[in-house]
Amino acid sequence: MLKQIGAVTMINLRSIPQRWGMSLATVLSVALVVGVLLGFLAMANGFRATVDGSGADDVAVFLRAGSQAELNSGLGRDSVRLIEAGPGIAADAAGDPVLSAELYVIVDGIKRSSGTEANLPLRGVGPDASALREGFTMIEGRMFAPGSSELVVGEGVIRQFEGFDMGQTVRLGSNEWRVVGVFSTGGSVFDSEIWADVGTIQNLYQRTGTVQSVRARLTSPEALAGLQAYVADEPRLDLDVTSEREFFASSAGGTSDIIMFLGWPLAVIMAIGALAGAWNAMYASVDARTREIATLRAIGFSGFPAFVGTMVESLMLAAIGGLLGAGATYLIFDGVSASTLGGGFTQIVFSFAVTPTALVSGVVLALIVGAAGGFFPAIRAARVPILKAQG
Amino acid sequence: MNDATLIRKSLFRNKTRAILLVLSIMTAFLIFSVLGAFSRALNSGVETAAADRLVTLNAINFTLTMPYAYWGRVDQVEGVQAVTHASWFGGYYQEPRNFVQSFAVDMESYFQVYPELVPIEGDMETLLARNDCAAIGQDLLQQYEWTPGQRIPLTSNIWSKPDGSRVWDVELCLVFDAEDQDVPTNYMMLQYDYYNESLAFNRDQIGWMILTTGDPAINDQVGRDIDALFTNSPAETETSTEAAFGQAFLEQLGNIGLILTLVIGAAFATILMIVGTTMVMAINERTKEVAVMKTLGFSPPRIFTHVLSESVLLSLLGGLIGLGLAALLLVGVSGALAGQFPGLRMTPTIIGQAVALMILFGLVTGLLPAINAMRTNIVTALGKD
Repeated sequence: MLKQIGAVTMINLRSIPQRWGMSLATVLSVALVVGVLLGFLAMANGFRATVDGSGADDVAVFLRAGSQAELNSGLGRDSVRLIEAGPGIAADAAGDPVLSAELYVIVDGIKRSSGTEANLPLRGVGPDASALREGFTMIEGRMFAPGSSELVVGEGVIRQFEGFDMGQTVRLGSNEWRVVGVFSTGGSVFDSEIWADVGTIQNLYQRTGTVQSVRARLTSPEALAGLQAYVADEPRLDLDVTSEREFFASSAGGTSDIIMFLGWPLAVIMAIGALAGAWNAMYASVDARTREIATLRAIGFSGFPAFVGTMVESLMLAAIGGLLGAGATYLIFDGVSASTLGGGFTQIVFSFAVTPTALVSGVVLALIVGAAGGFFPAIRAARVPILKAQG
Repeated sequence: MNDATLIRKSLFRNKTRAILLVLSIMTAFLIFSVLGAFSRALNSGVETAAADRLVTLNAINFTLTMPYAYWGRVDQVEGVQAVTHASWFGGYYQEPRNFVQSFAVDMESYFQVYPELVPIEGDMETLLARNDCAAIGQDLLQQYEWTPGQRIPLTSNIWSKPDGSRVWDVELCLVFDAEDQDVPTNYMMLQYDYYNESLAFNRDQIGWMILTTGDPAINDQVGRDIDALFTNSPAETETSTEAAFGQAFLEQLGNIGLILTLVIGAAFATILMIVGTTMVMAINERTKEVAVMKTLGFSPPRIFTHVLSESVLLSLLGGLIGLGLAALLLVGVSGALAGQFPGLRMTPTIIGQAVALMILFGLVTGLLPAINAMRTNIVTALGKD
């Protein structure tokens, strides 16, 4: 029996070149379906990886209660002092709390891809800000001088937006700034930001004494609960306290879910179209070999090898298509840089990420198309009447 | 048996094959029409923008505010017919996830600048007379199943009152709608004075201004004049047309046009290959039959037309089913997505484009088989095994 199956399968596979047109159409259509699916998944995964990778467990973020985003938040000087006195905040060598009170203003950048204006975050920070970001390095130039009108720019901004290149003078409203450095945090959300001295921004934007968020280094991730209790019990504070990881995770969901919800249905509908193609190709394959199959039946082969042979042919074509689509998507899309509006109402620069899980989903989808497309033609192959041998 | 019957019979001589092809063509047109409708809904802000309407924003970014006094100064600029202002309220109803798109505006001038917004319930006098009155769009009213005249607490996720409260109570005094279905009405306006007088911070500031010039030709000049007024002030401005602003905002989301083109392109490339190769094969199988028809006196052009009509008929059949499914689907989801995608529906333009594409697709897939059939040589074909 196994020998029979092997023989018939080989006949099937060797006869593919005789129907190269339809076989090629099947392979390519499956490849396109897989390509569309993986393209969307790469976008969703890339965005999620950037945002999820941005938060640390041992950094606490303080925002005004109910504000949800830094842009909407606002904290007075008194609140910052009370936070500094909170429990569980790590201290530096001098004994001061490692804490950064930051102002968050949105400014316009020009998107390189479209030439249109886009929202970029200009973050006013103090000296501790870089210590609170994992992997912060200056990759070009230097940090801004305190109290100056100097900017440092994340590498994602340089990649996707015009107007903030190293050494350039930037006009924001009626004020001029100079770009003196480029920093990287290894692909996190902060790479899409522009930083300047918090005091300078407070003055220029008439926000003296107010900030929008406070970040503090915790002695350990477990210290968060104590800090939350402290804030809840302090009547002068009306704040939401979360770990930075949680803060970013909650803002990543929306955008990447939307992309996923678009990608899957589109791929499934396209897969139905490709399924019809595979089905047709396999019927054509069975019809073309009717006489051959009947002859095999006449000399004692059972119907089952004919069934398996057709199924294998179909799965094979779909698998080739799936791998082709997956490979092409990986080569074309993996690492491509893009940007979109994120949870903070500003642009987040991210890279498309074709993940192994997504590749597996793509190939599985291809095999489902192959299996479903081969099934009924395979049954027809198994039932070819012996009389057809006389054709 | 006339030609039409002959075409129909040959199309369905292999029923399974015909149904599969119809199914696969259907999927491509389903994708085309649904994505087309979504793209249109996203672009409605650009397409319904009035040609003579300009927006003046803070030059640094539209999220930053400008002094209230700017309103009066812009009103004096030559060429400005009417000007109004609005401020982003960041509203929600009871829970932060019940987002309510809401602005604090000057009601009288707002309705002047947006003449397409027509009151359908309540009257303008009450709205203008009472501070706590709000005007609400028909779509938003339906989304939350509120009733005209109802009082609702509107919470802001940005602004607060001196006592720390962030709730402004408003009465839904006026409901407005627009005749053009594409004009979104999924937002509400509350009175600027009511909002401003109880602000804890950022008082006497406005978000942006909208103005009409009456003549698109003077747009550029008016825009330059306005921006020149505020040069070197702490809040410099940038004036652009409503359409340009809408377009730039869409671009912030990403290159949606390119993504849609790629997806629709992939869907059509798929069916082009499948249907194209199948049609070639189907006509090849009938070589002998074509030869017989030729022998019977069918002229080559007539045979050419037959095959081409067959592929166009196939394409129309699959395409129209796809179009129908898309229409049903859009009716099904338009209610649930009214907040994000107002005006999501099938339009005559999409139907027209789809039908044109169906005919084109039928011609393209049928051309090669039709030429083959037309050129069939009677002697060789009949001699074929």
